[in-house]
Amino acid sequence: MGDFADIDPKEFIANFFASFMGDLVHGDEDPAVVVDRYHTPDIVQVADGILMDRAKLIAHTRPARKHQTGARWEVHEAVGDGDRIAARYTLHFQTLKREGSVDVYFFGQFAVDGRMRRAHMLTRSVPMKANGVAPAEVSSEPSPRGAPDRRQLPA
Amino acid sequence: MTLSSYRVIGMACGHCARFVAEEIERIPGVTAVAVDVERDTATVTSDRPLDIAEVRAAVEEAGYELP
Repeated sequence: MGDFADIDPKEFIANFFASFMGDLVHGDEDPAVVVDRYHTPDIVQVADGILMDRAKLIAHTRPARKHQTGARWEVHEAVGDGDRIAARYTLHFQTLKREGSVDVYFFGQFAVDGRMRRAHMLTRSVPMKANGVAPAEVSSEPSPRGAPDRRQLPA
Repeated sequence: MTLSSYRVIGMACGHCARFVAEEIERIPGVTAVAVDVERDTATVTSDRPLDIAEVRAAVEEAGYELP
């Protein structure tokens, strides 16, 4: 990746996760091969303060491959700066047994070839409504100048 | 009361810990579960000795593995 000047960081981050998980869940390659295709060997991820290196990342992919039936990344906003991306997204997931959504606040750094080198994430489970539907996204983005504020429009 | 500790493979975050704890808590006789993601362990308190096969089945049901 190297520089996000010519790439939409929102699109990049959505495609990165969807492509990684697609290869992992729908392919039959060794999970280590898939992890290495999307991450540099010195990858360090810290999720909610818990460090995950390459070995732990590979171990974490095995349950996903075994049980995950669907996943969708809803990227609300993303900002690129050099080789880094900050993004706010919601991961909607389905496994054989449960489904849910997780809000993620992501700060990542990528190599020139697009592989992830480093990521820090804070996550929050989205509470489910009684009917099993996650509450609608509440936008915190400011409305464009001159545009009506959608947050103030009647439903 | 019986206290047992198990190594669990594949956990990465608090959500993983919750999934594992929820499944182990369903085992009859289990009274408490403490999951440490950083140490890859689940410590289980129960009012009877647990069969490793029960714990393995619960962990696998959550999507994770015992060694």
